[in-house]
Amino acid sequence: MSAAVTPALARLRARYGRPPETRVLVHRGTCGDAVDAARVLEAVRAALGTRGVPLVETACDGACWAAPSATVVRPGHRHRFARLDRAPVDALVSCLDGACDDAYAGSGARGLLARVGFLDGSLADALAQGAYRALAHAVTLKPAEVADAVASAGLTGRGGAHFATAQKWRLAAANAGPRVLVVNAEEGEPGVFKDRHVLEGDPHRLIEGVLVAAHAIGAARAVIYVNGQARNARRALDAAVAQAREAGLLDGSALGGTGAEVEVRSGAGGYVCGEESVILNSIEGERPVPRLKPPYATDRGLFERPTVINNAETLCAVTTVFDDPPPPTKLVPLSGAVPRPGLYEVPVDGATSWAGVLAMAGANPQRVRALLLGGPSGRFVLPEEFDAPLEMRGLGAGGVVVLPQEADIPRITSALAAYNARESCGECTPCREGTPRLVALLEDVPGNRARIDALIEVMTEASLCQLGGLAGKPVASALALFPRDFEAAR
Amino acid sequence: MSESPLPFDASTPDAPQRMAEAARAIEACAREKPSLLPALLAAQHVLGWLPRPAVERVAAWVRVPVSEVYATATAYSELRLERPDPLAWHVCTGVACDLAGADALLDAAPARARRTDCQFLCALAPVVVDPRERLYGRVTADEFRERLSATAAEAHA
Repeated sequence: MSAAVTPALARLRARYGRPPETRVLVHRGTCGDAVDAARVLEAVRAALGTRGVPLVETACDGACWAAPSATVVRPGHRHRFARLDRAPVDALVSCLDGACDDAYAGSGARGLLARVGFLDGSLADALAQGAYRALAHAVTLKPAEVADAVASAGLTGRGGAHFATAQKWRLAAANAGPRVLVVNAEEGEPGVFKDRHVLEGDPHRLIEGVLVAAHAIGAARAVIYVNGQARNARRALDAAVAQAREAGLLDGSALGGTGAEVEVRSGAGGYVCGEESVILNSIEGERPVPRLKPPYATDRGLFERPTVINNAETLCAVTTVFDDPPPPTKLVPLSGAVPRPGLYEVPVDGATSWAGVLAMAGANPQRVRALLLGGPSGRFVLPEEFDAPLEMRGLGAGGVVVLPQEADIPRITSALAAYNARESCGECTPCREGTPRLVALLEDVPGNRARIDALIEVMTEASLCQLGGLAGKPVASALALFPRDFEAAR
Repeated sequence: MSESPLPFDASTPDAPQRMAEAARAIEACAREKPSLLPALLAAQHVLGWLPRPAVERVAAWVRVPVSEVYATATAYSELRLERPDPLAWHVCTGVACDLAGADALLDAAPARARRTDCQFLCALAPVVVDPRERLYGRVTADEFRERLSATAAEAHA
């Protein structure tokens, strides 16, 4: 159950109309286009002939493993046809005719991903599938009440730090305006591809979350900072912002509230650019290096103004806080040695474990040596932990690579350490000097063990930001969990 | 489909025209320091990389010293300050691609394939990137060799 449709939202929906529900979706986007979904599109077009069923080019629905794929949607029925590079498209046609059982293989719960891969790119379709319902409700509440709803939903930052979202909002709102909202959609952590899926597939989800947050914070300006390589995400977001502006969603004229001006900026690479104070420097035209804290952004952030910096997924999750109950889900981009790699929306409900996630991805836990959780800032998870219920705080940004039994742990560990050394911005000594030395020390772990431990401690305690602060984490984790792998010098 | 332009070459006849186009793109950005990165990206979008005259144009437009523009530009891995090789492909060597055999792809074309960090298409590993920045997923060594010879032929045509 979600919030009721307000009269203003009903008027907006009526103005835009409702696209036909029955359609054939060809999933293109970055995933599909990397495996020649354009050819599938032509094959599907030919198979449909003159049937007059809308053929919609849309984004990946999270089932990256299925690409190139197409989905038939008719009332009460969804059926995804996977790997159409090696299967005929004729089955789609019989499915349209009703000769088919519902066989939609989902990617876990669908809260944030509910519309991803099902939209035709128009605002009308997004509205028809539920977009802006949370905003329509939020603007009928006082800003503090919106923050209260976010607090009671228990929402925490999905970028990895899992700080209480409502608390951050309240800290900024307590300061005199003008206030700013900055959206971290930089997503530069290797192995993480969640925000770009949501932005490509359902950009209005983020815009809605931005507008709800702006209302709660009292921010008249929002800047969305998008990863520079995520060009399809940027394109989809630009189009959606233009649609939202034209509809009167940004200035508050469509649904009420004061609205916020939304600006989209692109990054240009660099893992450190996911660090929130680096984003502020980047937007201001300064060198992309971290700032010393305090002052905290909520006091003095972008252009010295009180600033809330939220991860894109966090703001997408804000659109679900009025649901009863709010789905406590985490987007988990999962890759590596599994039959069905892709983007999963995992319920963090006290019941779901890694075993459950691996089952969704079709993995045989017997063949899994470990999970790499959180890439170059993360840790390894052994099979002993697979049955324990997942905790939001332990998930970081959510990126998981499944490592097979034969995985070469020292090689992976060294590669992660080398990545951190390449990406260090050089602003602080512990990280600038420590990351390359860690790489060198890993050449002979038995001989250097004490120095490795000491170096990691210094980097953890004294680095200016979490790139250096967490650079030792995967190394420490590997050495603790796989000591025998490191017994011989490499 | 995303695709970057052929890298700017000062010796080709269209060079003045492309540089003028880059200048227009730079000057379409607001004339203020926060436009530094957007202006650099706009220039690179036209030219495929950032030759010194383009960097100087950005510096003059946003009123930031050239030295400071370089200090900033070198901090972003996606800004290219040298002309990219129009025949070079990149092989992703992120953990998922490494597990899926990125090394075999690198071995398949030692002269033209270079390593690159995670391309965020991990579920379709192994991943390669062509000289125009198009991504290809689940690539086999044979397929990679075929694509390489196709682009070489394209470049000669």
